[in-house]
Amino acid sequence: TRWIWIVLVALVVFNAPWYLPAGSIEPFVLGIPYWVVLVVLLSVALSAFLTWVCLRHWNV
Amino acid sequence: MEEETQELAFAGTDAIVILCLYGVAMILIGWWSGRGKQLGKSVSDYYLAGRNLGVITLFFTLYATQYSGNTVVGYAPQAYREGFSWLQSIPFFILIIGVYLLFAPRLYVIGKKQNFITPTDWITHRFQSRAVTILAIVLMLWGLANYLLEQLVAIGHAVAGLTAGAIPYGWAVIGFIVIMLTYEWLGGMRAVAITDALQGIILMIGIAIMLAGALVLSGGGVSDLTASIAAQQPEKIGVPDLATNINWLSMLILVGFGAAMYPHAVQRIYSSRSERILKRSLARMTWMPFITSGVVFVVGIICIDLYPGLDVSASEQLVGLLANDVAGLHPFFYWTMVLLFGAVVGAIVSTADSVLLSFSSMISHDIYGRYIDPEAPQQRKVMVGKLAGIVLIALLLWIAWNPPGTLYQIFVLKFEILVQVAPAFVLGLYWKRLAAWPVFWGMLAGAVLAGAMTLTGNSTVFGIHGGVYGLAVNFAVCVAGSFLFPPTAGKQAENSRMTSLEAAVQNAR
Repeated sequence: TRWIWIVLVALVVFNAPWYLPAGSIEPFVLGIPYWVVLVVLLSVALSAFLTWVCLRHWNV
Repeated sequence: MEEETQELAFAGTDAIVILCLYGVAMILIGWWSGRGKQLGKSVSDYYLAGRNLGVITLFFTLYATQYSGNTVVGYAPQAYREGFSWLQSIPFFILIIGVYLLFAPRLYVIGKKQNFITPTDWITHRFQSRAVTILAIVLMLWGLANYLLEQLVAIGHAVAGLTAGAIPYGWAVIGFIVIMLTYEWLGGMRAVAITDALQGIILMIGIAIMLAGALVLSGGGVSDLTASIAAQQPEKIGVPDLATNINWLSMLILVGFGAAMYPHAVQRIYSSRSERILKRSLARMTWMPFITSGVVFVVGIICIDLYPGLDVSASEQLVGLLANDVAGLHPFFYWTMVLLFGAVVGAIVSTADSVLLSFSSMISHDIYGRYIDPEAPQQRKVMVGKLAGIVLIALLLWIAWNPPGTLYQIFVLKFEILVQVAPAFVLGLYWKRLAAWPVFWGMLAGAVLAGAMTLTGNSTVFGIHGGVYGLAVNFAVCVAGSFLFPPTAGKQAENSRMTSLEAAVQNAR
């Protein structure tokens, strides 16, 4: 399924914060640097997507 | 690995009692899981639990295989040294499941139809080339042996540290090898899977309590912690630079492909009772990094504030340092820290037993059963595998006690080598044009490049790992070679038939 490839590659490529200014820390979100929150959210999205693929897009 | 120097406050008699109870429990599980079953008479029963693992046992054996004691003892110091960029330890474990999805669905169906026992069975079935099969066997056995050596050394250090030297390093290794071999011989893969479940649960609880203890010690909230790190060590909390980001993406590829290609991981695909159980187990596995490597990452970050200024060598003792302080908080924490270190030993053993079983299966099924005595009864094949396991362990013990002064790097080649079999699975399952010789030369070129980079001390170049360069060359040779020298039309039709789902699905039902 082509769109599964596209979403998976996008979630992996953007998981590392290469597109954000190096060294930046602020703003903090709930006391956590913004980029850490972003990476965690992208990782949650990756897990959720793979779970969905496992349970809904893989079918004996 | 360096000798443990951190004296654990809770080391001694209590820890010895916990380890002895643990050893007895493992042997009882081995006896219970093997009783009434004639495991020694069937290769499939002994190495794949009769292809009958349910969702709980399959999930936990995947979990315990993927997360070793190093996930706790090694990753917390890594987070301490690297700071927030070690957040990558969450997505690289998630991506292992992503790579599984590239080949596991079809491999499960074909493996069930063809009664595959080892990963090599797929390679033999698809390429029908002795050269490709033997090269794949060599790469996988080499990677497995090094992985097992690493685990045996870790067991020795962990037990010696946990018992304050009351059980010396050498005796610790031998003792746990005897325990591991006993329950493995008694119960085969079924015993390994059930002990994995016990070890996995204890490890999860231990990690959670370690986090609770670290939070109690730190006292402050998240804002105070991050503000303190930002003020004192801003390089550990800011957005990583480009080189670190490239290394981050390289780690995702290396670990994602490397861990999914572990032979013992592939064999767990074969061991599933049904497709539904396999996909439910993998779906659960995608969330485990958050409560395993994610929690360990947070512990490492808290320690930046708790124990500032540790050098590399001192930071390696970080978990022991933290456990000592946590154990002093309250008798409850004391016992949970004893259990945590017992769980670390258990996690190492649970990885080692899977590796040893997989190694034995490849010797007995791929080498003895395929090339030495193809007519041998299954009972003899299983016995050959068991004896090969003992010979391997004896050899590894000799290496562990007499580490080579030079070329020791050949004993750390693991992911870099194992990952080179990936194209044979990921391309071979779907592309009928993929030919045997390009796969052979691609695998060889990738392994030589990755190995040479590691041996010459250039494990990364421009932040990218040697294994990833090797994998890129490997894929390129496979694709270019198959376009330049494609298989005959008849061979392509045969490739298409042997990877076809329609025929395989009929049999997998």
